[in-house]
Amino acid sequence: MDLQYDSSHAILRETAERFLAERYGYRTFRAIAGSEAGFSREMWAEFAGLGWLGLPFAEDDGGLGGGAVEVAILMEAFGRALVIEPYLSSVVLGGGLVAALGDKAQRADILPALAEGRRILAVANDERAPTKATPRAGGYALAGAKAAVVGAGAADTLLVPARLPSGGAGVFVVPRNAAGLTVRPYRTVDGGRAADVDLNDVAVPAAALLGGNETADAAIAAALDRAVAASCADAVGAIAAMVAATVAYAKTRVQFGQPIAKFQVIQHRLVNLRVHEEEARASCLLATLSLDGAAERRVRAVSGAKAKIGRNSRFVAQNAIQTHGAIGTTEELALGAYAKRLMAFEMLYGSTREHLRRYGALIADPKLAGDGLLLEPAV
Amino acid sequence: MDLALSPDDIRFRDEVRAFLEANLTPDTRRAENLTTGFTSDPEVGLAFHRALAAKGWSVPSWPVEYGGTGWTPVQSYIFDSECARFGAPVFNGAGQRMVGPVIMKFGTEAQKKKYLPRIVSGDDIWAQGYSEPGSGSDLASLKTRAVSDGDDYLVTGQKIWTTFAHRSNRLFGLVRTSTEGKRQDGITFLLFDMDMPGITVRPIVGNGGDHEFNEVFFDNVRVPKANRVGEENKGWEVAKYLLEFERGGALQAGRVRAQYVKLVELVRARCPDDPDVAHRLAALGTDLDAMEMIDISVLSALQSGANPGPVSSLLKLRWSQVRQDISELAVDALGPDALRFVPERPLYETLQLPPDEEEMLATTPRYLNYRAYTILGGTSEIQTGILARAWLGL
Repeated sequence: MDLQYDSSHAILRETAERFLAERYGYRTFRAIAGSEAGFSREMWAEFAGLGWLGLPFAEDDGGLGGGAVEVAILMEAFGRALVIEPYLSSVVLGGGLVAALGDKAQRADILPALAEGRRILAVANDERAPTKATPRAGGYALAGAKAAVVGAGAADTLLVPARLPSGGAGVFVVPRNAAGLTVRPYRTVDGGRAADVDLNDVAVPAAALLGGNETADAAIAAALDRAVAASCADAVGAIAAMVAATVAYAKTRVQFGQPIAKFQVIQHRLVNLRVHEEEARASCLLATLSLDGAAERRVRAVSGAKAKIGRNSRFVAQNAIQTHGAIGTTEELALGAYAKRLMAFEMLYGSTREHLRRYGALIADPKLAGDGLLLEPAV
Repeated sequence: MDLALSPDDIRFRDEVRAFLEANLTPDTRRAENLTTGFTSDPEVGLAFHRALAAKGWSVPSWPVEYGGTGWTPVQSYIFDSECARFGAPVFNGAGQRMVGPVIMKFGTEAQKKKYLPRIVSGDDIWAQGYSEPGSGSDLASLKTRAVSDGDDYLVTGQKIWTTFAHRSNRLFGLVRTSTEGKRQDGITFLLFDMDMPGITVRPIVGNGGDHEFNEVFFDNVRVPKANRVGEENKGWEVAKYLLEFERGGALQAGRVRAQYVKLVELVRARCPDDPDVAHRLAALGTDLDAMEMIDISVLSALQSGANPGPVSSLLKLRWSQVRQDISELAVDALGPDALRFVPERPLYETLQLPPDEEEMLATTPRYLNYRAYTILGGTSEIQTGILARAWLGL
């Protein structure tokens, strides 16, 4: 058991926080979010230059070989700085699926380009209508409808999970401009971009199926959990930023002749905010450290963290705004951008409610409920 | 970074499990399970304590020279968690976690010789005399007077919330020896024998029907000055050290998880298809996981020599709340059956029912008693105030 960050973690954290403090922030966020594309290609290129776009991939795939902890450190910094580029959807989830499922040629085709910022992925997972892959000469035809496809507008390539006649799922690599593919982007409340995607008899070659794998359900679930854990780290960064801003505000805002932080009712709320932050941080670390373990443990840790952090994030957002008073309800401060980012966190990649149900189905078993979090050593 | 126990820790855990299998009788486990208050009756706890003492494990957190184990923080955590999982009695915490460490740090050689071995063996059971009717959270306002009379003090006053005073043979407490200067500077730490003339105990029965708390009256009680720990008028310093220990024994995830498992079993038996209960059960599980992760973070910091920071108040806030929430959901899961009440104590003697019915009858007393968790050992309001200073510089 070891939960201490080492010096390489500290360097990554400092590098990310320093770069983003200088180059990002509320003003930049607003400009980028308000632009047509909804993300900055210049910024994306800088991220590539820093090695961040290849952080989670193996060195053989053109990446840096970072693990879940490194990704979480970067995501927390992104959350803190309101970074809106499609890192989670393209690199963590999209790249994660390719890395987990792709054969050598597919990985070589996609991952180095992704790491260099030349290619952007989006994953069309959530379904509006069941999406099916029907074999046909030389490949497959995809039909169905997807929802809440984050970053689809920016992406040149979609990854589309679809159900095969055998009953298993496969993940298909589909060019954004494929015939029969319709992408209808919309803005999301946090300043991001998502899309509805329709697949109307989209023809793809056999080589479009990642790894030729027609039973990829478990790998898809694992990759999604990895993305959920990363989104938890992003949320922790946003929560920490809101708590810090609220403490600072309460210490300087003067009413009745003194800073409002002098009032016990405010002091106790500030402590309560910090308690919620500490809990969120602990839950996130549990999820992060459970990604490479047994599936049941992983699901318990990841869905538990998503549900817990979702609940805590709502508490923090609402009480941070309340403590700021009227100005907290406006776009004058960054505070609202964080609150909206946390709303998006709650709804994407499985909502708070869905993850609580998934966690609850496991924890209702007294055997699992009785297992502490410390594990047997890996064999 | 990882959550894996080392092979040595696994071996240690298995040794603890083997010991518990061999030394915890089904009767003891049942009695402990039907203990709805905070500590075990001596009848339940003492036999197990003696088995621990024979193994050298009865005061695990103490230094080896006084009969402790020299375990690492991780080993202590494993031991506590396994004891909770097996439903082992919780016995004489006031001796082991409170007055014992105080005597080690501030006591004379004679006091160490006289008192410490009897805590190790289980021969002495201690009660804590801190609170008074007018001095709860504001402890430094205490009024029980000790007047010097030659080699003795004459003590007159009253203590309250004195857990297990009626089953203890010793009591440690704070008395006022001076009214000059700052309130904190006139307090002295004394050790009493419960059979000293002039001490009387009046029971206070909790809402859950358990008699754990008492009032203790002191009427001109003659206490030798040799029973003073630390200097006269320096008792506040001693008391603060003791409170650190009271809070410091606060890695409670193992105990809370044992309580949670009981709830999971209750829900499974009583209302497995109730979506509202399932929702709350799951939310509580995530609270507990977060709490345990904070515990483990503290352990990791201790293990690597880092300072875990001002966490004891955070830990107390969270475990007390989660324990209350678990006890509350258990009542809701029972529905109207939660109203069935057996006033006689101890329940393990009164009841002779199937296990699920016995558990049902222990649920409401637990809920009512556990309201005290956010009050005893520093209320949640006091803990929050401490965190406001420590975290926020307010």
